[in-house]
Amino acid sequence: MSPGLEVRMLCKRFGGIVVADSINLQIPAGRVVGLIGPNGAGKTSFFNLVSGIVRPDAGSVTLGGVDLTGLKTHQRARRGLSRTWQNLRLFSSLTVLDNLLVAPRLYLGESLTALLFGAGRVRRAERADRERATAILERTGLADIAHMSVGSVTFGQQKLIGVARALMNDPCCLLLDEPMAGVEGQAYQTIQRVVRDLAESGIAVCVVEHNVAFIRDLCDEGVFMFAGRVLARGSVAELIADPRLTELYFGT
Amino acid sequence: MEYVYALIMLMALYVILATSFDFVIGYGGLISIAHPVFYAIGAYTSALLALDFGLPIPLAIPAGAVVALLASVAVALPSLRISGDYLLIASIGFQLGLLEAIKNMAWTGGSGGLTNIPGVSAQSGGHGPYVVVTVLLAIGTVLLLRWITGSSYGRAISALRDDDMAFSALGRNGMMMKVGIFALGSGLAGLAGGLYAHYFRFLAPGQFGIMQSAALLTMVVVGGMRSIWGPVLGAVVLEALPQAITFLNLPPSLLGPLQGILFTGLVLVFMFARPQGLIGGGDVWRGRAVREVRDVARP
Amino acid sequence: MFSPLILLQILWTSLATSSYLVLFTVAFALVLKVNRIFNFAQAATMTVAFYAAYTLVSRLGLPGWAGLLAALAAAVVLALPLELLGFRALRRRRASSIFVFIFTLIISELVAYIAMLVYGTWPATVFPSLFWPVRIVAGVAISEWDVPALGATVVAVSALFLFLRRTRIGQSMVAVADNPDLAEFYGIAKDRVYLVSMIVASLIAGLAMFLYGTRAQVEPTTALNLLLFAIAATIIGGIGNLGGAILTAVVLSLCENSSILFIPSAWQGFLLYAFLFVAIVFFPRGVRLPRRLRLSRSVPTPAFAPEEPREA
Repeated sequence: MSPGLEVRMLCKRFGGIVVADSINLQIPAGRVVGLIGPNGAGKTSFFNLVSGIVRPDAGSVTLGGVDLTGLKTHQRARRGLSRTWQNLRLFSSLTVLDNLLVAPRLYLGESLTALLFGAGRVRRAERADRERATAILERTGLADIAHMSVGSVTFGQQKLIGVARALMNDPCCLLLDEPMAGVEGQAYQTIQRVVRDLAESGIAVCVVEHNVAFIRDLCDEGVFMFAGRVLARGSVAELIADPRLTELYFGT
Repeated sequence: MEYVYALIMLMALYVILATSFDFVIGYGGLISIAHPVFYAIGAYTSALLALDFGLPIPLAIPAGAVVALLASVAVALPSLRISGDYLLIASIGFQLGLLEAIKNMAWTGGSGGLTNIPGVSAQSGGHGPYVVVTVLLAIGTVLLLRWITGSSYGRAISALRDDDMAFSALGRNGMMMKVGIFALGSGLAGLAGGLYAHYFRFLAPGQFGIMQSAALLTMVVVGGMRSIWGPVLGAVVLEALPQAITFLNLPPSLLGPLQGILFTGLVLVFMFARPQGLIGGGDVWRGRAVREVRDVARP
Repeated sequence: MFSPLILLQILWTSLATSSYLVLFTVAFALVLKVNRIFNFAQAATMTVAFYAAYTLVSRLGLPGWAGLLAALAAAVVLALPLELLGFRALRRRRASSIFVFIFTLIISELVAYIAMLVYGTWPATVFPSLFWPVRIVAGVAISEWDVPALGATVVAVSALFLFLRRTRIGQSMVAVADNPDLAEFYGIAKDRVYLVSMIVASLIAGLAMFLYGTRAQVEPTTALNLLLFAIAATIIGGIGNLGGAILTAVVLSLCENSSILFIPSAWQGFLLYAFLFVAIVFFPRGVRLPRRLRLSRSVPTPAFAPEEPREA
């Protein structure tokens, strides 16, 4: 089994608040790991630290054996680390299709020099990207709304677009921040299927989610976080059954 | 005839300035009003190269544009590293600071201005061809920016403006793009500066101050921010309008302030009554929805 | 050249000069902290205040106190439409920060042009003469301007801090500055707080401009340059930290005045831009003093607030 994402001794504090306290966590390729814990346990902060949005005080992050520590957010993404956002962060002035088209891991169009001096190469890459984006939209059931503005589609569809955009990024490791919050019906089924497929294709997936049913159905194992620390790791059923964790989760 | 030439010349130059300024603030979403300082750098560099080193004008003008571009990178890099808001302050400081320096130095002509700049009329047959070249360059600028904003780069610019954090989390180097946008816009302003210098053959620091910023801002806002033809229309209309006032034969001490009041007043009227400008749609001025700003992690 | 007496003289002059600079900075920092507006329109307030005083004292020959009152009144009269018609409407529209900023900048330019039209571009002063009788105290020249100006500054700053700590509306201003959403939740009317904050800042700016205009020449565009000083001081002092801004204003004033020892006076104006650039490049988050040295009790906003409230 390939190494996937490996986090060692990750520490971060803001003033007096500890959001990451010596976190050690490995997410093997091809596995779906759920992060569970009460609000403020440091789950989203963990994502921010791993994806390089927030600089840790100490610790290292490697992906597929490649050291990501010290790299900037966009450099980590180029090495295969993708994430979605709790509050979506879609590009609101673009269409659904265009949201995907800016998301390939390598995007020649972001370089002005490539555009000015290699227009043909940019155009060819663009054509290939367009095909891939269309395929992903088909797979996620968004093909019908490809040319609509992202602001005019339903919330469930917006959630799907967030996931589809991350797929377009062709990740080795995907961090999903509450993909299910506020999603039901068709979109729910689709996200579930897509995440399952991803893991089977050998991608390491980490999910933060409050929907216990989703975690139980989907995750190979769960990690319980509290106050910036990893308290327990095991099958989701085990974690749910542990009275000590349940008490921490719901508070006293 | 000279008067008509000069008017066409100014309109063409302002088309370059306004469209490139719109590229920076409208499309790029980079908050800066220091566009005139890069205009000044292009103008002074080109003028001094021709005056002191005898560089031919067709070489001096591009050199001025390149220097303006490099200067803009030097301003943008340190300030964008921190946050977009600092670009505004850094660039205003740079604008006023550089003009202050020009005022105090002998080799730039000081506050009295730089005269005897080599002009075109001495070398070629009159102003006609020079005006034609300038108009062609203005058209070229508009077409270039139209092509860029419609390309894959333009799509990336929109995404960057919408949400730069999500943008960089997809592997895009948002910082480099911002610097690139700023540099291209500023380089074009520098080009306009060089073209100005060798036609009008007189430069003074006062021409590139906050008043000039207000004029450019007016052209962009009145014409329509984040559109290609808006700033073009804004530049032509607002260059023509003050000319109408000059026919009133007012003394210069009244004319300057009156033009200024006209420019700033128009911006205010348009900001509140027609924010999208004469041309252009979309809600350019609306801030990001609160929901999206909430969990911004400022590292 | 570097005799102790000269240094003492520079120190005193810097301190005296810092009187109005501190006030400009406080006014700017206050609006930035409470209203969260990068208020370039303060330059407009300053210009209006100056020309009000100038008209009454220099042109109509009224006494100085009438000029001061006119400056304060004019500043407030401008603040009202600025907040009620401008900022409030922009808030309702949820206008982006670039919009609000451009608005403030355009207002200050508009006022500058109107001033040029009405008063011309010639430098003017509140009193016909800038000369103040000088008394030598322990070898240091102290002008009759210095002491009242410093006194006015100390009184104004103390009054502001008392106002923020002791009065209900002042406490509301601090609460809104810390967290506008939470403040609204506790029943603080934000609109009223923003208005009061604008008025207070305008009064301070008006007083400062009166002091400046009694000691130096003013042109329609002077205020904008003075405002840049306030911005530099606010950034270096740490945005949101009033005490830090005041301290920085005094230190910068000292740097500017002592610079005559090292660089030609023509370049003194250039120093301001150097400050501004250094502030942005090296101290974007302000100079961090060790905790016990901080003047103000206000805690700077944390660079990152965890997005989830902790429940456990």
